[in-house]
Amino acid sequence: MLELLPRLRRFAIGLAGSPTDGDDLCQMTIERALTRRDQWQEGTRLDSWMYRIMRNIFIDEGRATTRRRETFVDADAGLAVGSDGAQEAQVELTMVERAMQSLPEDQREAVLLVMVEGYAYKEAAEIVGCPVGTLNSRLVRGRDALLDILEQAPEDIR
Amino acid sequence: MSVTEEMIAAYADGELTGDARAQVEAAVAADPALARKVEAHRALKAQLGAHFAPVLDEPMPDRLSSMLRAESPAEAEVVSFAKEREKRGLVPAVRRWGIYIGPAMAAAVIAAVVVMPSGAGPDPIPTNGTVGPQLAAALDTQLVGDAVDAGDHRILLSFTNADSRYCRVYRSNRAGGIACREEQGWQIEQEMLLGEGQSTEFRQAGSEGDLLAAAQDMAVGAALDAEQEAEARANGWR
Repeated sequence: MLELLPRLRRFAIGLAGSPTDGDDLCQMTIERALTRRDQWQEGTRLDSWMYRIMRNIFIDEGRATTRRRETFVDADAGLAVGSDGAQEAQVELTMVERAMQSLPEDQREAVLLVMVEGYAYKEAAEIVGCPVGTLNSRLVRGRDALLDILEQAPEDIR
Repeated sequence: MSVTEEMIAAYADGELTGDARAQVEAAVAADPALARKVEAHRALKAQLGAHFAPVLDEPMPDRLSSMLRAESPAEAEVVSFAKEREKRGLVPAVRRWGIYIGPAMAAAVIAAVVVMPSGAGPDPIPTNGTVGPQLAAALDTQLVGDAVDAGDHRILLSFTNADSRYCRVYRSNRAGGIACREEQGWQIEQEMLLGEGQSTEFRQAGSEGDLLAAAQDMAVGAALDAEQEAEARANGWR
């Protein structure tokens, strides 16, 4: 599980949109995985199992947090969301992050699993718990939206 | 059948095989716009990959990695002693005393995990520097790593101080301290509460780390190894 941690954390930060929220999500995932470790079946992929736990937690619990945040920050402040606090100063919110955060959660997780984590469609669909065709179409909508946003952005702030 | 957006993306991701793949290949070859789309998909994948890749090389936040180290209590304790001292800008005690603390601590910690009942009431905490009978017996006879009953004092470490007196670090469920053998008997030099009953192993380990750090500050030379400790006991700690 320790070896998986960097990848899990990458997925968490991508989903949650900031290192702080990502680490919180990662922590909840590890807690849940440890308490449910007897549910993991020997011989199945531990990474897929943990990614599934993480996305379920994110869908269940992350939503409320995100909605709260979106309600209380205005458009300009929104640019700085995720970079609050001095310890995160080195992590600037880039266009890629803004574009990712503009995606609906189902598209964002599909994009992250396939395009960042490198899962095959079938594996990603199993993690998400949807048919492969559904994953494929979410992925296409997500990446089309990303292409639109990023094409409009000047190169130097990407 | 026309080539869908889904198929283009799947093709760019290397997901298509057989007929479907051949079909998209043919369409892409015939239509520069489709070829550009495939390129755009691949470029986006490379961009996202490059964007998130640095996360893999970032130092893992301790609160995350420590959760997994806790799976092996002895290891977690030893690691957190070192961390505790690092936080204070001190040389990790474990590195200097590791060969003595390591095996003994491993045994002691495992014993602690096994014998400490959750929800046990607080055991008597000496507050006036006097040594109760159970503690005195532990100080006199117990060696580091010996198994003890729940709630009883355990010896964590033995060392000699600047006055060439033998000193011993001990703890019970909720408190611990350092006692040194003076002419008239054991004298408590330091004592502290160690976490709450409900606290995690980490916080307790941290407090135990405080205790060991204090011991290291008092100690002259390394901690006693098992042989030296047995010899000291045989000589009545004088």
